[in-house]
Amino acid sequence: MNITDHRPGVDAPPQAPGLALVPYGQGRTRGLDADALGTHGVAMDRLVALGLTVVPGLTVPAGTAASLGEPGTAGAAVELVEQLSGRRVGDSARPLLLRLSASAPTDIAGLPPDLACLGVTPDSAGDLCTVIGRADALDEVWTATVRMIAEYGLDVPAALLDDALLDNPAPHARVGALLSLVARHAGRPFPDDPAEQLALAARAVLARWDSPRARRARKAQKLPADLDIALHVQALRIGPADRSGYGTAVSRHPESGRFSPQGSFFRGVRRSAPPPHTGEPLEKLAGGTVLLEHALLTLERHLHAPVSVDFEVRDGEVSLLAASAQSRPPLRASVCLAVDLVRDGALAKDAAVRRIGPAQVQELLHPQLKLTGDEELLARGLPASPGAATGTVALSGERALELAAEGAHAVLVMHETTPADVPGMLAATAVLTGSGGIASHAAVVARGAGKPAVCGVEGLRVDKAAGTVRIGERVLREGDAVSLDGRTGAVYAGALSVSVAGPPPELSTLLEWADDSRRLGVRVNADTAAEVTTAVALGAEGVGLCRTEHQFLGDRLPLIRSVILAADPAARDEALLALEHAQHEDFTALLTAVGDRPVTVRLLDAPLHEFLPAPGEAGDAAAEQRAASLREANPMLGLRGVRLALLHERLYPAQAEALFSAWVEVAATGVRPRLEVMIPLVSLPEELRAAAAFVRDAAETVAARTGVRVPYRLGTMIETPRAALLAAELAEHAEFFSFGTNDLTQLTYGFSRDDVERQVLASYQERGFLTASPFARLDPHGVGALIALAVERARSVRPDIKLGVCGEHGGDPDSIAFCDDVGLDYVSCSAHRVPVARMAAAHSALRKSESRSASNENGTPA
Amino acid sequence: MHSAAAERTDTIDPSLADAVIDLVLRGMWRGTQESVHRPLVDAGLAMVKGPMVLPTESAKQAAAQMLRVPAGSGQEAQITAVYEAFLPVNRKIREVCTAWQCRPDGSVNDHGDSVYDAEVREQLEDVHEAIQPVLRRLERLLADSGRYLTGLEEALDRFDDGDRQWLASPLCDSYHTVWMRLHQELLLVLGISRAEDEAREEQLVRGSHG
Repeated sequence: MNITDHRPGVDAPPQAPGLALVPYGQGRTRGLDADALGTHGVAMDRLVALGLTVVPGLTVPAGTAASLGEPGTAGAAVELVEQLSGRRVGDSARPLLLRLSASAPTDIAGLPPDLACLGVTPDSAGDLCTVIGRADALDEVWTATVRMIAEYGLDVPAALLDDALLDNPAPHARVGALLSLVARHAGRPFPDDPAEQLALAARAVLARWDSPRARRARKAQKLPADLDIALHVQALRIGPADRSGYGTAVSRHPESGRFSPQGSFFRGVRRSAPPPHTGEPLEKLAGGTVLLEHALLTLERHLHAPVSVDFEVRDGEVSLLAASAQSRPPLRASVCLAVDLVRDGALAKDAAVRRIGPAQVQELLHPQLKLTGDEELLARGLPASPGAATGTVALSGERALELAAEGAHAVLVMHETTPADVPGMLAATAVLTGSGGIASHAAVVARGAGKPAVCGVEGLRVDKAAGTVRIGERVLREGDAVSLDGRTGAVYAGALSVSVAGPPPELSTLLEWADDSRRLGVRVNADTAAEVTTAVALGAEGVGLCRTEHQFLGDRLPLIRSVILAADPAARDEALLALEHAQHEDFTALLTAVGDRPVTVRLLDAPLHEFLPAPGEAGDAAAEQRAASLREANPMLGLRGVRLALLHERLYPAQAEALFSAWVEVAATGVRPRLEVMIPLVSLPEELRAAAAFVRDAAETVAARTGVRVPYRLGTMIETPRAALLAAELAEHAEFFSFGTNDLTQLTYGFSRDDVERQVLASYQERGFLTASPFARLDPHGVGALIALAVERARSVRPDIKLGVCGEHGGDPDSIAFCDDVGLDYVSCSAHRVPVARMAAAHSALRKSESRSASNENGTPA
Repeated sequence: MHSAAAERTDTIDPSLADAVIDLVLRGMWRGTQESVHRPLVDAGLAMVKGPMVLPTESAKQAAAQMLRVPAGSGQEAQITAVYEAFLPVNRKIREVCTAWQCRPDGSVNDHGDSVYDAEVREQLEDVHEAIQPVLRRLERLLADSGRYLTGLEEALDRFDDGDRQWLASPLCDSYHTVWMRLHQELLLVLGISRAEDEAREEQLVRGSHG
């Protein structure tokens, strides 16, 4: 299975040396593809075809690569590269070295390392360093090159080579030590002749490709064990370090996503792992960044993707060493590029929308600190582990453990962390350190544990004895509040609230295009004016569910309690009046925020037990007895929703009157919210008819009092299987349905959500009974079938009935696609999912139009 | 305070020595049996915090004293040479763990890109190849240090079996956890502070690259 044993004979007929050498740019014209040229050969062909300047070089195609191990072919390769570059190896005025690399038909890991400087001899090394202008310019690359050739090309035992390097820590002494080891163990000295060096290097690269380590890497990537690689010989033109070097660049800024070449540039001879902190910004390029920008822009327009390039600078001129589409570009770069391509006319809007999935929209809306501009920025450190957090300062791991035990959020603040601090870090909500970088102990542990962290905050001084930490000018005590953002590195004094970010501008543009593509409406589940305002900014078209329960809880609990437990009608009416007044204020604020949009208000749906006092707290013995008689075994299935309203007949009228009179007040200011009043937990058409009468009467009452007839629609929630099955009968009394898929799922499965989530779902998913929680992803077979049936039956009675979903499913992309498929009018979800739902609805519509046009092409009727 | 600690260490029960050293090098024990940590707690060498057992200040000082090789000795010079070969690789393992957790743009590695993960695994192999000669040399100089190579190889095996946490998780004897313990022992053996350690690493990493 040794590649060198059989390849030349089998794949390539004996031929003159040099025929197997393909200069960059000529692969395609010779009819060669990626299998022969490798990804690097193909990329260089493409760059040449686009008219971009590349470094001179050639490919020895896969299958014939072993021929480079023969002196004849290696000699021809050296000559050809000399010809292409107009330089000669060994020329001391305009020196040339060679670089050998390998590539496979696709991008893979585990290729042999590049051999970065072939053609150096102990005699010429000094002159080369003089040209470069640095005495140590070759130490590391030359050592690495000789090390690998010695081990894999000349079979010098690795342990001897390791020992030689350990015994010679000084970089300058290492090559000498390796060369004398070679002379002793390889039976011949390391050659000076460039062609002989190249032939040995080719054999070493192929032997390394055949090593157990490389085979394991192929296996891990499910690549064929006998996969062939192409070899590439590149010119390495040596020039003075002030005007020569190498670098890498990507086309877009990773944070903003804008076209703005980013990267770094290193002086001297190219290394595979440039030393840290020696990179210089691209602006320092001797010839400027214009050529680089031109290359990146050309490539982006050609590849329709954010791109990265490796480049060489020689005498101030840029030539490309490699270029490709970024394998996983930063999300914002992809979004910005999609928008840029549309603006340039290179991409249709639909196609741009298709490029960004709902999950990616969610990713762009990551949690962050809510900034008002008034907060006090203490410091900016390194963004070491993403996430935003707020908590109290703990100056030791022990304090963090104590705080966590009390249920408090601790931010562990230390100058540095050691393994002894790991328990405290695990207990803390976030970590803040004064020393260390992105790869420091604190950062590695924090990311491993999923904790936000900011590291390397300069000027952070902990005084453990005093229990204080100085950050910049400020001194904080243990126990003070602090907030940090592990994505930006910002640290603030005080407790800031953590919230979901709004979409960046280019995503807003893309979402507007998504809105043009979708059929399904997107509304929000919001109970307060503030939530409505947030959701409208995120693109919600209205409110799909306003729960009125909160109007009865908190400090209003005694009021509703006295309605339910009232000893006499007078006391009850008094409490109801107070409730109505409070609700009126809530509704006025909500409707003002809604504006001219639709808003579905659900009348009270809380289970009775939420309003009952704890035993012994009802007040007097009589009330205690009334409360006891009202307690239920299973409140979620007991006196709840419309059932409670039918027992306490003033509840819904009071709510409806408060709502309608609030509308009258808000309408007077010029806005007209489109009211939809919704009756919850219906399973009998008679329940709906009775509750509808309450609402109608309330409208009459308000009309009589104010002289205004409030326009509204009346509808019901479909939460029970019976309601779904009797959709036709319910539709006679309802102008809209909203599927409450959370309860509908519970009742269809007979699942109590809290209980099964704790004990059942995980095991069902492990067994493969369920692929996802039916509470997260709408079950299309059972619950979905009920919805589909209800839709059909309802529309048969009332074709223009409005249909929506208001469970959490309204924010889940798969469930949204289902809702689109069964023809619902809208989905309603929590505010932070609104952008996700908009994109999911667009993707669903685009998928459908795609499959429609595909089936039209096939001649099948649509 | 210093003399009090010194007095304490003089009186440490020799039967507790190994346990104290182990606890200090690990930084904590999780889920140990009462019978294992009770003697240390009673001797004022450990404290129990919830499910975790942590070393006390005096345990740390005792371990440091017990592990320290004589200053100025030949052994110290030889171990220092190994330590200096360790430091550049120490930088690399942190970079590998970072690359495993975060992609170069700083986003979280969701392990959806098998080529990227395989690339990181290759870098880990480079680290593992580089640390082996260093540890073989250490084994000749420091009793019982062979356990680190065994621990690293075990973690690597588990990692290659598909258990991702065995590279960098602080919650198991992952490659990174074993490595940190080795690092901690070298520091205590040579009496080097963390700050000094960081400075030397930085100097060596820059130096070795010219």
